[in-house]
Amino acid sequence: MTQSPLTADAPRASGRADVEVRVPADGAYVSVLRTTTAGLAARLDFTLDDVEDLRIAVGEACAVVLPEATDAGDLTAAFWLSAQRIHIEVSVPTDHEVSPDEDSFAWQVLTTLADEAGLTFDGTRCVLALTHHPTPLETGR
Amino acid sequence: MSSPDLPSDLPPDEPRRTALEETRRRSGLLFAVLTDPERSQAERDQARDDLVHLHLALVEHCARRFRNRGEPYEDLVQVGTIGLIKSIDRFDLERGVEFSTYATPTIIGEIKRYFRDKGWAIRVPRRLQELRMRIGAVSAELTQTLGRSPTPRELAEAIGCSVEEIVEGLESANAYATLSLDAGDDSEDGAGTMLDAIGMEDEGLEHVEIRESLKPLLERLEPREKRILMLRFFKNMTQSQIAEEIGVSQMHVSRLLNRTLDQLRVSLQQQE
Repeated sequence: MTQSPLTADAPRASGRADVEVRVPADGAYVSVLRTTTAGLAARLDFTLDDVEDLRIAVGEACAVVLPEATDAGDLTAAFWLSAQRIHIEVSVPTDHEVSPDEDSFAWQVLTTLADEAGLTFDGTRCVLALTHHPTPLETGR
Repeated sequence: MSSPDLPSDLPPDEPRRTALEETRRRSGLLFAVLTDPERSQAERDQARDDLVHLHLALVEHCARRFRNRGEPYEDLVQVGTIGLIKSIDRFDLERGVEFSTYATPTIIGEIKRYFRDKGWAIRVPRRLQELRMRIGAVSAELTQTLGRSPTPRELAEAIGCSVEEIVEGLESANAYATLSLDAGDDSEDGAGTMLDAIGMEDEGLEHVEIRESLKPLLERLEPREKRILMLRFFKNMTQSQIAEEIGVSQMHVSRLLNRTLDQLRVSLQQQE
């Protein structure tokens, strides 16, 4: 059985994100980020399977970081886009170290849907980074 | 359906009426077998199957009346057939009414119930509902020809609309509240759900490795939801592959996955 390793680590992106969305750190706003993600993946002409996987992945990523948020924080999603990959970082402000619960179902979901997933604390924010390489489209159709 | 003993010397302008009479005659014979306690179980089962096939045209006729209301015609035939089977099981020869007269309200009732159960979570314009259906149908075709799920641009080209409209259509699909797959059948005879009918054998799943810590969580799910979840997250099948395996649309698989994950999250939060 092939399966992406559970300890996959997504490196943080450098440089300015192509798209950033900031919403209140509240579960009610997660759907906004999910919709945004699916919309962006569709513009990149990813396959429907990829689009829907990313929609689910971002929802799951938000569910992982939201409990870590300090009060009155913002939930942000930053997107780095290219035809070969999409890199997404979902984050909330937090005041403590975080590490992924690799035994959790959420982590299983994330590592199935994304090629790389990592959870880090950068001193002020809890960041869940995801990288996804879309299904290659055959050429010469 | 061939009828070997159909009289051949009929005037040509009467085939319709004769076909109807022939159907009634065969229906009567089959019901006689079905209700005959002297017959073997196998014979009665065969008669029941034959009755279903014999009256499928009636279901199709009923389903056609509900076309263009936002549900695929094939789905309506499917639920209508459930109504037909219920009618066959309940029909009493002694009543002296034609079976078709008796079955029609049950078939239509089943189709109407399907519409009631399958409402939209939010009001979505008719145009978008139709687009969602086109996307679902074309997406299934393209998945077959391409060997992978299509991209929005490919869908737009095939349907003849803009990529923007496809994106809009995909969003509307997410507003669609469905329970057709796993909605329990609340009727008294409990005909089971669609997925039960499709077959739930765990073929290919028994070798999947699951971490011990996740097992209690997965056990809490309905068998069908667990199966879809396992296929996606433990067997790494794509949504399109799962859709094909189970016999529903990829959009439906997506919605079921989303909903199941939401449920899991809520139940985990309640635990804490």
